Amino acid sequence: MDSKITIRIDGELVKTDRGASIFEAAKANGKHIPGLCNMKGLKPVGACRLCMVEVAGVNRLLPSCTTPAQEGMSVTIRSARLDAYRKQALELLLSERNHVCAVCVSNGHCELQSLATALGVTNVRYGYRYPKLGVDLSHPRYVLDHNRCILCTRCVRVCAEVEGAHVWDIAGRGIHSMLTCEMNRTWGASRNCTSCGKCVQVCPTGALAEKGFAVEEMIKRTASVERLTAVRGGGR
Amino acid sequence: MKRITDLSSFNAAHEAGLKKLLPATGRIAVGMGTCGVGNGAEGLYHALSDGIHSRGLSFHLAQVGCYGPCSEEPLVNVWLPGKPLVILHKVQAQDVAALLDDLSAGRIPEELALCKVEEWDHITGQVKYGSGLPDLPKWNEIPFFTGQSKIVLRNCGLINPGDIEEYLAVGGYQALYKVLIDANPEMVIEQIKAAKLRGRGGAGYQTGLKWDMLRKAQADQKYLICNADEGDPGAYMNRNEIEGDPHGLIEGMVIGGYVTGATEGILYVRAEYPLAVHRLTLAIQEAEERGLLGENILGRGFSFKLSLVEGAGAFVCGEETALIRSLEGRAGRPTPRPPYPAESGLWCRPTNINNVETWYNVAPIVVKGPAWFTETGSPKSPGTKVFSLVGKVQRTGLVEMPLGTPLKTFVYDIGGGAPATKTVKSVQTGGPSGGCIPKEMFDTPVDYETLAQLGSIMGSGGMVVMDEDNCMVDVARYFIEFTHSESCGKCVPCRVGLDQMLAILNRFTTGKATEADLGTMDELSRMIRDMSLCGLGQTAPNPVLTTLRHFRQEFEDHLRAHRCRAGVCENLALSPCENSCPLHMNIPRFLELLKADRLEDAFLSVVMDNPLPASTGRVCQHPCDNRCRRSGIDEAVNMRDVHRYIADSIYNGGRYDEMIERVLEHRFPPTGKKVAVVGAGPTGLTCAFYLAMMGHSVTVYENNADAGGMLRYALPEYRLPKSVLDDELKLIYKVGVEFVFNAVVGETVTLNDLSTMYDGVFLSIGTWKETWVYLPGTELKGVLHALPFLEALSKDEHVPLGKKVVVIGGGNAAIDSARTALRMGADVTVIYRRERKDMPAIPEETEAAEDEGVKYAFLATPHRIVSGEDGGVLAIECAKTTLGEFDSSGRRKPVPTGEIQRFECDTVILAVGETVDLDFLKASGLKLKEKEKMLDVSPFTLETSRSNFYAGGDLISGASNVSNAMGYGKKAARNMDQKLMGEFRWPRLWPEFEYSMVPPAHVSESGRHHIHELPADERAKGFMEAVTGLTPVEAMEETCRCLRCDIREGNH
Repeated sequence: MDSKITIRIDGELVKTDRGASIFEAAKANGKHIPGLCNMKGLKPVGACRLCMVEVAGVNRLLPSCTTPAQEGMSVTIRSARLDAYRKQALELLLSERNHVCAVCVSNGHCELQSLATALGVTNVRYGYRYPKLGVDLSHPRYVLDHNRCILCTRCVRVCAEVEGAHVWDIAGRGIHSMLTCEMNRTWGASRNCTSCGKCVQVCPTGALAEKGFAVEEMIKRTASVERLTAVRGGGR
Repeated sequence: MKRITDLSSFNAAHEAGLKKLLPATGRIAVGMGTCGVGNGAEGLYHALSDGIHSRGLSFHLAQVGCYGPCSEEPLVNVWLPGKPLVILHKVQAQDVAALLDDLSAGRIPEELALCKVEEWDHITGQVKYGSGLPDLPKWNEIPFFTGQSKIVLRNCGLINPGDIEEYLAVGGYQALYKVLIDANPEMVIEQIKAAKLRGRGGAGYQTGLKWDMLRKAQADQKYLICNADEGDPGAYMNRNEIEGDPHGLIEGMVIGGYVTGATEGILYVRAEYPLAVHRLTLAIQEAEERGLLGENILGRGFSFKLSLVEGAGAFVCGEETALIRSLEGRAGRPTPRPPYPAESGLWCRPTNINNVETWYNVAPIVVKGPAWFTETGSPKSPGTKVFSLVGKVQRTGLVEMPLGTPLKTFVYDIGGGAPATKTVKSVQTGGPSGGCIPKEMFDTPVDYETLAQLGSIMGSGGMVVMDEDNCMVDVARYFIEFTHSESCGKCVPCRVGLDQMLAILNRFTTGKATEADLGTMDELSRMIRDMSLCGLGQTAPNPVLTTLRHFRQEFEDHLRAHRCRAGVCENLALSPCENSCPLHMNIPRFLELLKADRLEDAFLSVVMDNPLPASTGRVCQHPCDNRCRRSGIDEAVNMRDVHRYIADSIYNGGRYDEMIERVLEHRFPPTGKKVAVVGAGPTGLTCAFYLAMMGHSVTVYENNADAGGMLRYALPEYRLPKSVLDDELKLIYKVGVEFVFNAVVGETVTLNDLSTMYDGVFLSIGTWKETWVYLPGTELKGVLHALPFLEALSKDEHVPLGKKVVVIGGGNAAIDSARTALRMGADVTVIYRRERKDMPAIPEETEAAEDEGVKYAFLATPHRIVSGEDGGVLAIECAKTTLGEFDSSGRRKPVPTGEIQRFECDTVILAVGETVDLDFLKASGLKLKEKEKMLDVSPFTLETSRSNFYAGGDLISGASNVSNAMGYGKKAARNMDQKLMGEFRWPRLWPEFEYSMVPPAHVSESGRHHIHELPADERAKGFMEAVTGLTPVEAMEETCRCLRCDIREGNH
């Protein structure tokens, strides 16, 4: 069997590996689908819904990160509807917690911020929720700021799937979902954390950061974690 | 317990079961589903058990599940040999002694009986009970069961769920035995496919295809799961099915296991169903002991393990991937598909999930074949579906109907429509994932596709009927609050989108929404629907989308008028009575002021809210009575007659002039603006009063010689004495309103004249034209129209009236004409084409007329008026009708029977409705509504298409009643003032009152005080007022009956 398949992305015929997701197929062909939860090397969860695409013959939108590309598939990754929905999703994320870029360590290096800029989010039509959330400073080297967390679960997955420590998980449900350390310990009291810092490096926003950085100074080394998972042979 | 390993032991158990079902001693069975137990069935069972024991009787006493009609609980079914099985309803423990007396004497207590069952088709077997008792209706002859077809509920309420032998007696486990003996799993799957059995959980996927996938999947282990995580508010089908017939579910799953190659099954039941869990656990145990489950089933070598897991009550666990995660001990959050459970489900093994009801359909299809199954239901959706019919219907319960049955059958035929005095507004299907379908669409067949087209879903089968007391905005808010709290939080649209949606809906229900919110809500709904990860999020916006589509008006009312017509959204109303009053009178305030013995303050409060309190106190349709919360205890507070009492006391007590001065203290200084009001009816008078109070110079143009409109010229003296009206008009004169009588606008003065002479014009010319009816003979001498008839009498003109009068119509004008004609010495019959309860007239009036001697003929449609020799009336002929199907108004349509009824008479009064003077409207150049012949105005400001021209009353609504008309006048005054002055001055007009805002410590326990009517024979003699008001003590007592709904938390 040919290991390559052909699909159509925004009208253009491209070749991709059999078994690749639509997201990966697009990326391999230099086409960018927006996304915040998906990351190379981690099991896709389809949580942020920004990578939704239209597939010809399917009457609903599909998440490109969890949908395998199939021979002959015709995918639309940009359309007026998708753009509008993605903007709405970003606005919802921005309204959910306290994303105050001006005082954020990740300002200028934040995936949420740069995606919002790229998609032209100039204002948020929804009311800001302004939740009162804490910051966990108990770890000697790292900080967890719930105010910036978008619940993408990259940290959860990298810790469980790559580091094998499973320090992080999500507690609560609905709008009250919160990132939690082990069984609701402070990060500093964690018994499993190896302080490897992978969670910090994969975090798309300023929710997880290294201590000692001021505004704009925290630059994540996401790519190095991706390289690591590639060396391990993990992920797809 | 003996294991069943061959046909003879199978038949032995079957026979043993039949002996319990039809014992020679007779049988008594108590419906003990959760619904029955909640209504006292447990106590009843023990009372029966004690009674049987202490009297040494030999009846076989059993517990059964629910038979369906939940509103009739507790149900008891009794059977005596040779007689039919009789279902007794609303049986109480105190009935037990008499019941046992009867039964031991061989009598069936027919007075408690709901219906009888002569023979029952259990699908898998038949039971013949016996015949007789001709006076009792058969089960499917009573309205609740009409059209029902019991396939899933075949055993519910008839067999003991705790006794496997009774299940075997009605043919249970035969299907399994057959499948195991045939040993042809592919054929069974083909049968299920051919039967087109669709998943009853709501999505409607073909069960046969799913089973086929599982059968073909290669794995060391496969699983079957039964989804009994029924969590929709208002839905309890699965609960009752399991409680009533647990073995039906087990049998379906064992068959499924055999044909798909799964050897393990899991029942995922929500923990909130303890009785279902209990009965199912026992049933599993019993089936295992009998060799019908577990190892080597029926000795045929097939093994199937079944276990029960209690779900912790997360709604999202109804979503199959979340359910599987929950079974694995993980958080109940859905995961993306693919992979589908059929490839990788529980513990990464191929898994098939079906809803409870789907499993129940398996055995019948196996026994009777797919052709039989497809006979019921619609071509695309064969079979039946169980619905829980709840909400604002008279009969609630579990209803199993063929798919494709129209909604109106459920609501009206089975449910009996809304309780008296209310009308059904919509039906919500599918719970939080479904939508609301308005009554105009009740012809809709209930099947998967049609409901989806309307934006709703079938869902698991919840059917919540809503009436005018339900606010659709609040309904949407309620369901979003539900899905919001049940969202797992994994994906952004559902987690944050529903939170934002709830915030927006909360703004609507508290009157804080903005115009932008309407659009934001719509686009947000679409985004959540299209972008969410699982079914919960994808369907969560349905309640919003459907209410926005079908009830947009209600959203606009909340948004623009800050008004919740249903009176549900508490922040938008003072109290239910205030909210229902077209004039929005502060009813609790005047009641409290009178209670504190402050009659003058009470009068000021009343008259500022309603400038004609004594007239409305006599003739208002009192919508407040329908909303009063006191009616939940005994009867509504008599608010109308208390304000009549307050007004009468002031008018007759010599303090009126003083009070007029107090009213005038609140008048604004002159503004220099001039306003014309056209029409001196209640609408025009009200508008003029408020405009004058706000300092404008107001002139009222009226084509009659005096003010009052319909109050003066249509209401007979015995209902509203002219002297009362004259008293009230005094205040209106005093606030400075000028009148120009005998002025016909359009002729003596034109609208253009008014436009140049005044800064604003208010049109309220009412509906004085008779509706044209096509009826042969209307040209005859002796045929009158109601309004001219009443008008002529009020002007003391002579009206020739015969001896026998027939009035056609059912509204207030018909009753007024009838009672007037009666007082003139005629013999009167009122002919109405529908039923008595459909008459628009005030019920008290209809009754009073009857007491006085007016006769009624209902369900009679006038056919022709027969002429006599002199060109007069000889008789009227009517087509007799019978009640047909329900129309969109929720009333049964009269259908001619072909029979003609003749009423000898010499006078016919037509009171079939009034309309606007269309010629005037056409000549006015103002924009009209397209279909109805009415003026088109902005619903929120009442401004017409011409700037500064406003209109109100019957002119824009069609013929209505006094209080509605006055409400328009008040609303128009508020908006006209704002337009004229450029600021909102309305709130400044109202006097402030200091009065108790503490909830009453002792609410009077007295019943409602009714008005006093003169004896019927006495009042029918003349035109003296027929009703005297409340006495001071009665009025005071009524004020003490008020529960003070206007007091909120924090006020005390």
